[in-house]
Amino acid sequence: MEEKRRVLEFCADVGETLLLNGAEIYRTQQTMELIARSYGAEHFNAYVLTNGLIASIRIPDTEEHAAVRNAPRVEMNLGRISAVNALSREIVMGAVTVEQAAARLAAIRAMRGFPLWTMAAASAVAAACFCYLMGGTALDAMAALPPGLAVGLFVQRLARTRAPLNKLVSNMLSAGVVALVSVLCVWMLELAGLFCDADKVIIGGIVSLMPGIALTNGIRDVANCDYLSGTIRAIDAVLIAAGIALGVGLVLRFAALIPGVHI
Amino acid sequence: MGGLIIQFTVAFLATLAFAVLVNAPMREFGYAGITGAVGWLVYCLCLRGGTSAVGAAFLAALTLAFVSRAFAVVRMRPATVFLISGIFALVPGAGVYDMAYYFIQGDNRTAFEKGFEALQVAIALAVGIVLVMALPGRLFEVLAREKRVRHKAENTPPPDKGRDDFRARDAFWEKREKSFWGKGK
Repeated sequence: MEEKRRVLEFCADVGETLLLNGAEIYRTQQTMELIARSYGAEHFNAYVLTNGLIASIRIPDTEEHAAVRNAPRVEMNLGRISAVNALSREIVMGAVTVEQAAARLAAIRAMRGFPLWTMAAASAVAAACFCYLMGGTALDAMAALPPGLAVGLFVQRLARTRAPLNKLVSNMLSAGVVALVSVLCVWMLELAGLFCDADKVIIGGIVSLMPGIALTNGIRDVANCDYLSGTIRAIDAVLIAAGIALGVGLVLRFAALIPGVHI
Repeated sequence: MGGLIIQFTVAFLATLAFAVLVNAPMREFGYAGITGAVGWLVYCLCLRGGTSAVGAAFLAALTLAFVSRAFAVVRMRPATVFLISGIFALVPGAGVYDMAYYFIQGDNRTAFEKGFEALQVAIALAVGIVLVMALPGRLFEVLAREKRVRHKAENTPPPDKGRDDFRARDAFWEKREKSFWGKGK
């Protein structure tokens, strides 16, 4: 019986890890059910949402245990999802005991992402590339490098603070940083006699903040009949977009007041 | 033609950068990059061929999801690793941003148009992905049958033949323990 409870706790932890790192709802649900079945728990039920999950296990003729996990803040980490996937595959083949699996899950949860500067550099490259793909010139792409770098550093710093900011506020501030650095860059290039499109530069800079994946995944959830999760993601996407637009809009309004700057 | 090659290269680079941003496993960067670049190439070709943006997004999503699933089987990773990194360039983030931006500016009509457009693209992408995800797994397993068989043989404990036969099982567990902690620490 103690064994069954351990299986339940482990399954809930697996689900939580998957959710926190941005896995799809159906993957989380399936993985939990597969693992429970491999450990011989027939009466296992799970209900998974974007930001939390409920699971229960029934031991016939005795009692029922339940576990709840809350996953309010999702940060994409495909490395951890992939590692959990490999672990669950081995569990299904019967090659890992519950204790071993729990130890490995703890190791997966402790996996570190890329260091701050790598992330910032990636953000800069992403900004430049995206600016070009959206129809910017090579010069626009070059101008999008500093805003991308700035926002990468800013977001990573924010993510590493102990008391996380409100999501709307943090997106607003990040987008504000992008707009500010973009306007500065465009203005300085203009002084140097090079003209580029501020709109394109800003679009490139905010690409790493934009909620496109959230919206698409939300619709995928709806298509998989996870209506509530899909709705949560869609609202999340709109809220993120509102934060970004507010940040950019405010900075552009103020920039337009300064003489000699044309947006 | 030259334009397409540049687009392909830039999309490859962009996907690599996104793969870092979503903490994809480093060994899969190349594959993710190819997935993203192929998806973008299909999108560009469709647009040049006169398809609407929504249609192009749908076809690109079909291709992307297909390539992701193929890589998923070959590399033994979840398809998400390739799909999420690769789809970044197609996803209507700019559209959602435009919607919010025009809404704040007070231009409700443009805001509605942009928002609706973004929703259409997102639906097209999602439907494309869901369609490919619904394909039977056997279709893709052909790509890496040997690898799967080997992986299974390495990871399945020897059958329990009763009390006297514990050596093979013990050796199996010991080897596993060593290989995991040796790699992890």
